[in-house]
Parts: sequence; C-alpha cells; structure tokens
Amino acid sequence: MANSLNIVTICGSLRKDSYNASLARLLPSLAPSDMIITAAPGYASFPHFNQDLPVPADVMTLCDALRAADGVIIVAPEYGWTIPGALKNALDWVSKTKDQPFKDKPVALQSASVGPLGGSRMQYHMRQTLASIDALVFIKPEVQIAFAKDKFDAQTVALKDQPTIDLVKQQLDAFGAFVRRVKV
Amino acid sequence: MSNVITVCGSLRKASFNRMLANALPALAPAGMTIKASPSIEMPLYNADLQAQGFPPAATALADAIRAADGVIIVTPEYNYSVPGALKNAIDWVSRMTDQPFANKPVCLQSASMGPLGGARMQYHARTIMVFLDAFVFNKPEIFVGAAQTKFDDKTGELKDEATRTIIKQQLEGFEKFIERHKQHKA
Repeated sequence: MANSLNIVTICGSLRKDSYNASLARLLPSLAPSDMIITAAPGYASFPHFNQDLPVPADVMTLCDALRAADGVIIVAPEYGWTIPGALKNALDWVSKTKDQPFKDKPVALQSASVGPLGGSRMQYHMRQTLASIDALVFIKPEVQIAFAKDKFDAQTVALKDQPTIDLVKQQLDAFGAFVRRVKV
Repeated sequence: MSNVITVCGSLRKASFNRMLANALPALAPAGMTIKASPSIEMPLYNADLQAQGFPPAATALADAIRAADGVIIVTPEYNYSVPGALKNAIDWVSRMTDQPFANKPVCLQSASMGPLGGARMQYHARTIMVFLDAFVFNKPEIFVGAAQTKFDDKTGELKDEATRTIIKQQLEGFEKFIERHKQHKA
C-alpha cells in the first residue's frame, strides 16, 4: 500500500528460543494490510550507558530506525518484576540522543511470561519510563501473555494459542488506527 | 558490628551518586564499615550466555553481596526508573542458586539534579527487591535532590549539612536493622 504504516519491533530478550522473540517474529504475519512490521536494529552490542562515552554508532543506527518508523512495538519479557536491564540500557542510550526518537512516537507493548501475570509488572514500569521520554503509549487491548509454556509450541516456539493470536491481531488493528490518529 | 557494601548505579566519573557513595564511610556509625562493591559492568544478560556459565564479574559481585551484612544501593534515576546497567547486573545475580540478595538487608540512596532526588527509581527498585527477597530498609529515605548544589564541584565532597545529618540517621537506622536481622537469623 502506498501509505502503509512502517512499524518496528524491539525485542527485550536476547536469547535464541525466547517466547518474546518468537512473538515479535510473528507480528508481520498478523498485521493489518496497511501495516509493515520489521525488526528494529539490535542493541546487544551497546556498551553500558555512561555519560562520559560518546554515543556509539550502533545507538545512532537504532535511533535512525526509530525516527523513520511511524510506530514502535516493544515485545519484552519481565525480569525481576521489571524491564530487562539490557533493554533498559538501550533505552537509556536512546533517551540521551539529540532529536530524541521516542518523542511523540506511538508505542505499543507486548509481553509473554511463563507465570500468571504475563509480564504486566514490566509493562507498567515501561509505561512510566516511556512517559519520561515523551512517547505516546497505546492503551488497550493490552497483550500480556501468561502461562507462555502452554501457548507456544515446545519445539518450534511458535505461538499456537488461537485466542492469543486473535488478541494480538486486535491490538495491531487498534494500534494502526492509533498511529494514524496521532500522526503529525 | 556490620560490614556493608555500596553498589553504585552510575558509571561516569563525576557522578553525584558515586560522590554520595564515597561520602558514606565517614558518616557511618561506630562499628559499621562501608566499602565499594566490585563493578556492575558485565555482559548484557542472555540466558544462552548463562548456559555457558556466569561471567566472572557477576560471580564477583554476587560473592561480595553474600559476604556483606548489608548492601546500600546508591544510584541515579534514568528515565524514571533503574539504570539499565545496574538492572543488568541484578538480572545476572538474580539467576544464581544461593541468590545473593535473598534475606539480605538492603538500603537505597539516590541523588539527582531534579527536585525528586531519584524517588521514581527507588520505588521501582523496591519492587525489584521484593522479587529478590531482600529486606529493604524503610525510613528515613535518602533522596538527594538538586544535587549540583550539595556537593563541592572541585573535591566531590558532600557539603550539605542537612543531607549529611539525614544520611547519618539512615545509616544508624540501617545498622540497627542489620543487627536485628542477624539476631533473628541466629
């Protein structure tokens, strides 16, 4: 489509067989016809944030992709009842750049966990952090996939639970509408 | 008598939080020794890396926490929450058997140039500490706001008398908190 929405995903887990990485990989196939979803450049190479260091080139690469995107979907596990440190470190870097890319950027959240809360504690901390960087965070439906072991295939790690797939689709449809509404 | 370590969440040289951590030994009550922990710098957490073994820096930090009677986390607030680098270190040690924060007395301090002194970070840190099963000291809380006015910009010394007084109070309270905890354990 000529005026398709360009949406990028940031995954909060670095391990290979991550439920959250699998979920992020699935999103392009669940997106509405006017939305193109691709993975944002990675942050695994970022050093620990330190104001004494110059901004690394890889941080600028991620920032460029975020600026070019119409919206961002953060798909992340919950570690220690909050945001994974590696992902938070990436946000700490991005937040310090000029023309800070999250400002006024539509952002949606998704998480999967093996426990009963589906990463919700991470999401509410993430909402607070995204407020600090002036992002426009999508509200509902929330995608918080609990008991991930039962909902992803044990071999392929693919999401197989149909109600969850339907919910993710609903969120992507509604996020598309949100992005168009708030787009400047 | 207690041996306490400080874990600093900032890596920059002229960090107000590092200045704050450096001020603590001189403000500690008799019987409390305070030393800096090993570095929080370690690879970004990845369960696939963990499968190959914990990084030496994670093991060193965990050992120091286990050996301490109490831990004081002194850290800035980044983006209304805990700095990623510090959270990454916590992500590593939280995966260990004999998880070092379990049942450990922990105290929080933060400094920031803004008016809230890192409070939003501290309440996120308290949430994390529940997950880790740490005993977090309650009051007095140390939020050093407008930090640029409270440290000597040449020497890095904490010069604000009111802040020094409340820190002394916190450390005295934390010493009692640690002693009570030790008696309970014995």
